[in-house]
Amino acid sequence: MSIAADTRPVLRLSSPTATRELYLFIAILLVGAGFTYASPYFLTPINLIQTLRAALELAIVSAGMTLVIIMGGIDVSVGGILAVTAIVIGKSYQAGLSSFLVAPIGLATGTLLGTWNGFLTTKLKVPPIIATLGSMYIFSAIMFIVIGGAWISGLPGTLSPLVNGTVLHIPASALVILVVYAACWVLLRKVPFGRHIYAIGCNETSAKLVGINVDRTKIATYALLGFLAGFAALLYVARLRNVEINIGTTVALEAIAATILGGTSIRGGVGSLLGTLLGVIFIRIIQNGLVLIGVSSLWETVIIGILLIVVLTADAIRNRNNPRV
Amino acid sequence: MVFKLSGIVKRFGGLVALDHVDFHVADSEVMALVGDNGAGKSTLIKTMSGAHIPDEGEITMLGKVMHFRSPQDAWQNGIATIYQELALAGKMTVVDNIFLGREMKRPRFGIPFLDLPAMRKRTDELLTQLDVHVPGIDSWVESMSGGQRQGVAIARALNMDARLIIMDEPTAALAVAEVRKVLDFVIRLREQGKSVVLISHNIQDVFEVSDRISVMRHGRCSRYVRPAKLPHKKSSAS
Ligand SMILES: Nc1ncnc2c1ncn2[C@@H]1O[C@H](COP(=O)(O)OP(=O)(O)OP(=O)(O)O)[C@@H](O)[C@H]1O
Ligand SMILES: [Mg+2]
Repeated sequence: MSIAADTRPVLRLSSPTATRELYLFIAILLVGAGFTYASPYFLTPINLIQTLRAALELAIVSAGMTLVIIMGGIDVSVGGILAVTAIVIGKSYQAGLSSFLVAPIGLATGTLLGTWNGFLTTKLKVPPIIATLGSMYIFSAIMFIVIGGAWISGLPGTLSPLVNGTVLHIPASALVILVVYAACWVLLRKVPFGRHIYAIGCNETSAKLVGINVDRTKIATYALLGFLAGFAALLYVARLRNVEINIGTTVALEAIAATILGGTSIRGGVGSLLGTLLGVIFIRIIQNGLVLIGVSSLWETVIIGILLIVVLTADAIRNRNNPRV
Repeated sequence: MVFKLSGIVKRFGGLVALDHVDFHVADSEVMALVGDNGAGKSTLIKTMSGAHIPDEGEITMLGKVMHFRSPQDAWQNGIATIYQELALAGKMTVVDNIFLGREMKRPRFGIPFLDLPAMRKRTDELLTQLDVHVPGIDSWVESMSGGQRQGVAIARALNMDARLIIMDEPTAALAVAEVRKVLDFVIRLREQGKSVVLISHNIQDVFEVSDRISVMRHGRCSRYVRPAKLPHKKSSAS
C-alpha cells in the first residue's frame, strides 16, 4: 500500500525532512567548493559576511513562511508587507520619531498586515494563494500611492548594529538569524501551537474535530509571518537607510523557494526550519557566486526554478505511490 | 438522565439530514444507533460532539441546556468522540495524535513547553490498557493499518476520561479478535458508570453490548428496541 512511504524509524525520529536537509547541505558544500575554485574572492571572510547580511531579511521572512506552508497555507504578499512596513518606518523616521517608537510601530504594522491575510483566508474562506495575491496588489498600490515612485532616503541607521555589528567577533546578523530561528523552532516543535500548525497542514477537518481552534491558529501564524516581515523591514531600512521603489519584489518567491527546497511540503503537514535556513543559504550563495564569476544573475533564477521543478516533481511522484492521506 | 437531545433539526442546503430527532442516553447505559447508509447517524453524533451546530432543537446535559459551538466545548463538558473518519493527522506520530488539542504541558519561564516524556508514558499505558499494538509510538499513523489507526483513535478517546463516549463505527476495520477488545472496552466503560453511544452496522455486536437500540431512517430516530429482552444478552453484560 505505502511502498514508497518513508517509514525508517531512525530518520523519522530525528526529522522527517532529514534526508532533504542532508542533500541540501551537501549541495551547499559542492556549490561552495565550485565557487572557491572559480573565484579567489568567494571564500573570504568579507565576502561570506557580505553574503550573510544579504541573506538576513530573506532568512527572517522564510522562517515565518515555513510555518505558514507547513500549515498548508502560503503567503505571496510578504514582499508587499515588507514594502508597506518599510514605508511606514521611513515616514515615521521622517516625522522625527525615535527608533524606540519606530521599531514597535514597524513590528505592529507588519503584524497587522499579516493578521489581515489570516482573516481573509479563515473568515472569508478564500484560498490562501488567491487571498494573498489580492493583498499583494493592495499593498503594492498603497506603496505607490504613498511614495509615488520616489525613494525615501536619508533615514537614520540607528538599528544598523543589528546588521553590521559584531558580538565577540560573531557577526550580529548571524546572531539575529539564530535568535529568530531558535524562537520559531521552539514555537514549532516545543509548544502545543506548533503541533496544531502541523495538524492543520495534515488534515484541517481532523484538526477541527479534535478541538483545535483552527481559525485562531491560522490567523496567529499569518500574523507571525507579518511580524517577521515587519522585523525584516526594520533591518532593511537599517541596512540601506532608504526605501527603494523595488523593495520586496522578489522576497515572497525566494522565501517560498527556500522553504520548498528545504524539504517543507507544499501540501502542508511536513517541514523543518533547518531545511529552510539551508535553502536560504543555498539561494544566496548561488547568487553571490554567480556575480563573482561574472555570470548574469538571470541564471540564478533559472537554476532555482529548475531545482524547484525537480523537487516538486519528486514530491508528486512520491505522493502518487502513496495516495493514502 | 445524563444527556438528551430534543427536536434536533440539521439541514445541509435543501437536504434535511436530521428531522426533529429525540434521543437520550443515561448513566451506565450503552445506546446503539443503527440504520442505513446516509440515514443521518454520523450527522447526529456530530451535533452531540459540537462538530455540527443544530439548526433547531435543544441539547441538555444533567438538565442543563448546552450550546456546543465547537468540539472543544463538548469535550470540556465530558464528551469524547471517535469519529467514523477517525480524525487523525496522518503525518504525525501516535503520541502526537493521541494528545492533539489536549497536549500535556510543563511550563517553564511562562512558556507552555510540551511534556513529551509524560505523553509518551501515558501513550504506552493507554495502548497497553486497550491491548492495541502499533509499530511504534513515534511512527506516523499514516503508515499504519486501518485497525491500528482505529486503535489510536480509541486510545485518544479513552485518554479524555469522558462521561459520555461516542463511537461511530469503531469496529469497521477490525478483525474478530480486535472487535472483541472494543466490545469488552464498551462493557468496561458501562461498568465504570459511563454513557456510551455506539454506531455499528454489525447487528450481532450491537445486540451483545447495548442496552437500547435506536433505529434511524431518513433523518428520523424511529423507535427503540430493547435487546435486554433477548435471551443471550445477559451472559456478557453485567
Ligand atoms: N457536511 C455535509 N454536507 C452536506 N451533506 C452532508 C454532510 N454530512 C452529511 N451529509 C448528508 O447527510 C445525510 C446523512 O449523512 P450521515 O453521514 O449522517 O449518514 P450515516 O447514517 O452516518 O451513514 P453511514 O452509515 O454511511 O456512515 C447524507 O445524505 C449525507 O449525504
Ligand atoms: Mg456515518
